[in-house]
Amino acid sequence: MKLPRLPRLPRRKVLKAAIAFGVLGATGSLVALVRSRGYEVPQDVRGKLVGLEAWQYVVVQHLARRVCAGDEPGVVTPDEADVAGFVDGYVANMAARMRRDLGRFLGVIEQLAPAGLAMSSRFTHLEAADQDKVLGSLESSSSDLLRGGFEGLKALLFMGYYRDPRTWRILGYDGPRVEARP
Amino acid sequence: MLDVDAVVVGTGAGGSIAMRELARAGLKVVALEEGGYLRPADFDQREDHMFPVLYQDGGGRTTEDLGIRVLGGRGVGGSTVHNTNLCKRTPDAILDLWARRYGVEGASAADLEASFTSIEKDLSVSEIASDDINPNNDALRRGALALGWKGAVLRHNRIGCQKSGFCELGCAYDAKQNALKVVVPQALAAGANLYSDVDVRRILVERGAAVGVEGVAHDGVGSGKRPVARVRVRAKVVVLAGSAVGSAALARRSGLPDPHARLGRGLRMHPGGVVAGRFDESILAHRGIPQSYECTEMLSYEEGSDRRVWIVPAFAHPIGTAATLPGFGAAHMRSMRAYGHLAVLTAMVHDETSGEVDVDGDGEPVIRYRMTERDRVQLAKGLVACARILLAAGAREVTIPAVPPVRVTNARELDALDTSFVRPFSVPLSAVHPMGTLAMGKDPRVSVVDSTGEHHQVKGLFALDGSLFPTSLGGPPQISIYAFALHLAKHAVAAAKR
Ligand SMILES: Cc1cc2nc3c(=O)[nH]c(=O)nc-3n(C[C@H](O)[C@H](O)[C@H](O)COP(=O)(O)OP(=O)(O)OC[C@H]3O[C@@H](n4cnc5c(N)ncnc54)[C@H](O)[C@@H]3O)c2cc1C
Ligand code: SF4
Repeated sequence: MKLPRLPRLPRRKVLKAAIAFGVLGATGSLVALVRSRGYEVPQDVRGKLVGLEAWQYVVVQHLARRVCAGDEPGVVTPDEADVAGFVDGYVANMAARMRRDLGRFLGVIEQLAPAGLAMSSRFTHLEAADQDKVLGSLESSSSDLLRGGFEGLKALLFMGYYRDPRTWRILGYDGPRVEARP
Repeated sequence: MLDVDAVVVGTGAGGSIAMRELARAGLKVVALEEGGYLRPADFDQREDHMFPVLYQDGGGRTTEDLGIRVLGGRGVGGSTVHNTNLCKRTPDAILDLWARRYGVEGASAADLEASFTSIEKDLSVSEIASDDINPNNDALRRGALALGWKGAVLRHNRIGCQKSGFCELGCAYDAKQNALKVVVPQALAAGANLYSDVDVRRILVERGAAVGVEGVAHDGVGSGKRPVARVRVRAKVVVLAGSAVGSAALARRSGLPDPHARLGRGLRMHPGGVVAGRFDESILAHRGIPQSYECTEMLSYEEGSDRRVWIVPAFAHPIGTAATLPGFGAAHMRSMRAYGHLAVLTAMVHDETSGEVDVDGDGEPVIRYRMTERDRVQLAKGLVACARILLAAGAREVTIPAVPPVRVTNARELDALDTSFVRPFSVPLSAVHPMGTLAMGKDPRVSVVDSTGEHHQVKGLFALDGSLFPTSLGGPPQISIYAFALHLAKHAVAAAKR
């Protein structure tokens, strides 16, 4: 589904607007307008979601594929590690306030952050290289809130990825030793 | 409704001692703890399982502006369950400062000697054997020695440690001699009652005196938390021991009198950043005792000093490491492949910044903390010092995970480094030592409780946790908190017997 065209605003203006909205607070009707439509989540997954809405799940899936992308073929993929499924469960156990903030930040990434780079599609419709540009812009943003929000999200995604014992081989990490308990 | 002599809110370092001392005095005591009662068999050494249950907000708590991650415990034993067991007494210079500037009475090193000695005996505090210094700590030791900098092997409260390296996820081997293993059982043996999974929401005050608390018993955590019962306890004495964040939030949402706007103010927390050094040899920083050596070259306790940085190793398991290393995607994974070869140090600022704990519309804590320029300069000096130590220890490359990341390979590059890039939001910061939101002192205009720990305006209400401290300590706080709670508990006992 094609999105309604977003206004092209200079990057700084978009970020300022986002902050004015509270970024992690209300990102406004822009997100509400589209978030429930055009997100394909398999019926079996949709039925199991406990913390995320369907559109949020799709955004998280896209984010995980970029943030936890492998450096060579053959490493376990974020989809195989079910990072989005993990985030869904994690979010369900978060305090309501944090869950609300996270949902809104996902809205910012999906809608406002690409517009900040003069990209007219939402994040989940961008090519991988453009998604990386959007994430790079958040990571180096002059807005403390956007940068802080990105770091928090990154931590959550890596928790979803590096909790999978198959990823420990990449690091040479030997994992829990409780079975060796005396 | 329960009717007792004293109710204690929180069962960490301060709360466990308060409940034990009140019970040993023959009083009817109940302790209420927001988190669960976990045992060694529950600690499965997995970050994704343990963070959500052992830490406030699942380890995701931050300052309001997202600039600093603030880690604190949740559960019987509080933060002592997952801390790294370093034990240092309150420095004499800090105690002198509190007496001189804040009018704290009866808390000189001599006054506290018996309490320090007693708690160190209870917790079996001893020096860490030099054989038990792992390669990460050894990198700090070698680097500091090579530079001719001051450092020392630390003391800890462990017996039978298996050197698994999982301290921050709770000890599966029951080697930690902490509130959970030692003090809470002593309190229960003395007759105290404990209810876990009870979140205290309000302090009850009548005619200027605390008369009890109200809370909610629940199942589950986060938004999965389901209230199962309302809890109301009437008591002659209420002891706040929910940590500098939890106690202040409870006091604020209870609407306690605060004529001089001091409640929740004066938050210190030793904010720290990390620096990673990549070595040719294997370091495996996640194995062994996580912290056993400190560098105090840049640490002075004198008021207004421009040397206010405490340096210790910072180890992490994969998730913690991944969250700290800069970048994302394939480049990030390439950095992660060096995991076993990384030595990581942290520079914690003995901070002057005065933050605040407030509450939001739901009554949940909101932490405001904007680092002062003087503290920012300390942070920058500390990060550079960590980098210098790692290079001196033989690191091939040192990374400060700033945005953009700073990488240096020799001391010359470090000398030339412009440190203005070190700003609170340009480097990931964490804080694990919240202190000082219900500070003690003589003058109600600058303090919340008096030198006995009793609230200036509300009789029978005591603070006996990290919130007591009028300034930062500049080192690990647990022994100070245990000892102050022990030293002051007699006043809560006397108030309950009044
Ligand atoms: C990762 C980490 C490592 C650390 N390492 C060290 C170390 O090596 N050495 C050292 O000295 N210190 C260390 N610390 C700090 C030290 O553990 C704390 O400073 C100390 O435990 C604080 O004691 P406290 O009594 O103030 O609060 P805590 O020990 O945090 O206990 C507070 C308790 O109160 C409960 N609570 C809060 N609000 C409520 C409420 N409304 N109702 C009911 N219960 C409530 C909480 O759930 C918690 O269990 C570390 C901390 C962390 C996070
Ligand atoms: S290092 Fe020692 S104290 Fe820490 S978790 Fe392992 S056995 Fe327990």
